[in-house]
Amino acid sequence: MIGVAVAAGLVAAAIVLSRVGGLGLERDLALAAVRAAVQLAAVGALVALVFEHAGLAWVFVTAMLATATATSARRLRGIPRAAARAFAAIAAGAAVGLAPLLATGAFSTAPRELVPVAGILIGGAMAATSITGHRIRERVAEDIAGVETRLLLGVGVAEALAPAVRGAVTTALIPIIDQTKNVGLVTLPGTFVGLVLGGASPAEAARLQLTVLFALLAVELVAAVVAARLAVAGLRRPGERVVAAG
Amino acid sequence: MGTAAVARIRLQELAVARGERIVARGISLDMRAGEITALVGPSGAGKTTLLRCIVRLDEPASGRVLIDGEDAGTLDPCALRRRVGLVMQAPVMLPGTVRENLAYGLGATDDRALDAALASTGLAPGFLDRGASELSGGEAARVAIARALARGPAALLLDEPTAALDGASAAAVERLARDLAARGLALLFVTHDEALAGRVAHRAARLAGGELVAAGPAGEMLAR
Repeated sequence: MIGVAVAAGLVAAAIVLSRVGGLGLERDLALAAVRAAVQLAAVGALVALVFEHAGLAWVFVTAMLATATATSARRLRGIPRAAARAFAAIAAGAAVGLAPLLATGAFSTAPRELVPVAGILIGGAMAATSITGHRIRERVAEDIAGVETRLLLGVGVAEALAPAVRGAVTTALIPIIDQTKNVGLVTLPGTFVGLVLGGASPAEAARLQLTVLFALLAVELVAAVVAARLAVAGLRRPGERVVAAG
Repeated sequence: MGTAAVARIRLQELAVARGERIVARGISLDMRAGEITALVGPSGAGKTTLLRCIVRLDEPASGRVLIDGEDAGTLDPCALRRRVGLVMQAPVMLPGTVRENLAYGLGATDDRALDAALASTGLAPGFLDRGASELSGGEAARVAIARALARGPAALLLDEPTAALDGASAAAVERLARDLAARGLALLFVTHDEALAGRVAHRAARLAGGELVAAGPAGEMLAR
């Protein structure tokens, strides 16, 4: 509790500083702090419940998947059936990571292991799907003349959108690639910190962190590639034409 | 090679729409091999949309486009666009060199084919290694035509090809259009400039008020 009190004091100090400096961020800071406290307290209670009942763990994972789908679908707005496309990309990516880890027993399906690992992988797949979908829409809208120029030169939609797809997938993977490259040098990621604070040995924590990071590389690549394909399919019209999503 | 009597491109009762609104209807027009057809009319008359419909970048609201007697709607769109080149009003250069622009989507090509396409637009072979983003407006207009020619088209559709050019560059593009027609291509030259249409075209048609109001030999039609 002392830790929370000290951190709350820091938020209060930040609010005072914002006031004194005329930054106008007081409301946002206070609201963010209160929301975080309420949400984490609720999740804490919920997770305690979920850890007791194996069936609830899968319900919880399904809810995470649904929330991630809704979040990414907003980034794909303007593309027909955005939610179905977002779901397919996130589920495909998360499944690619989760299936082998569970099948080999690297992680068990016990709620205490399933929920956090599934959460991390679904979160990674969501981020990759959102960025990929958003960037492809943006690139096509910005460069519809370039896309149509390629179509007029006699290539199909997939080829005409290839530069947009490459750019979007690359952008989507920058965070996880950089995080993997710099792990331990710039930041100590959450899994590692949590395990060490929870009493695991640093070696054990490092092993699990590495497992999660490697899985995330595959998860995010698969999610980005599937999201890109589905976004292209959504922008394509019969007759090798493209619409810029509004 | 079709004979001059056969229409390379035939528009039959074509209606074109922008969004939900029909902007022009009842358009019937033939474009023949070896001829320049000028389509004149004020901006907003639907000329650009008409060109886009011919190569299926837009769908016509009704009517048909025949390419050498075949319904364009039944042709593979990619093959159609190689056979009928559309050069947009403000041609976009793809990133990279002129060579990469000319060879785009063609698979393996040798420089001789690209040189030939470039030479027919009056640009020197040395242009192949120029950065496409560094070209002047007149050079880009000619490279855009060369890029369409590299696909070996039977017809070229040019949307206001000289509108953004200075006098010398515009004259060069006019000469180029006449050369290409003399080599047997069917050309459709879209412009709001009737004097220009009178200089380059064999036949002309005028689009106004959403309809094709006149079509015929350029000299007669434009004098009206």
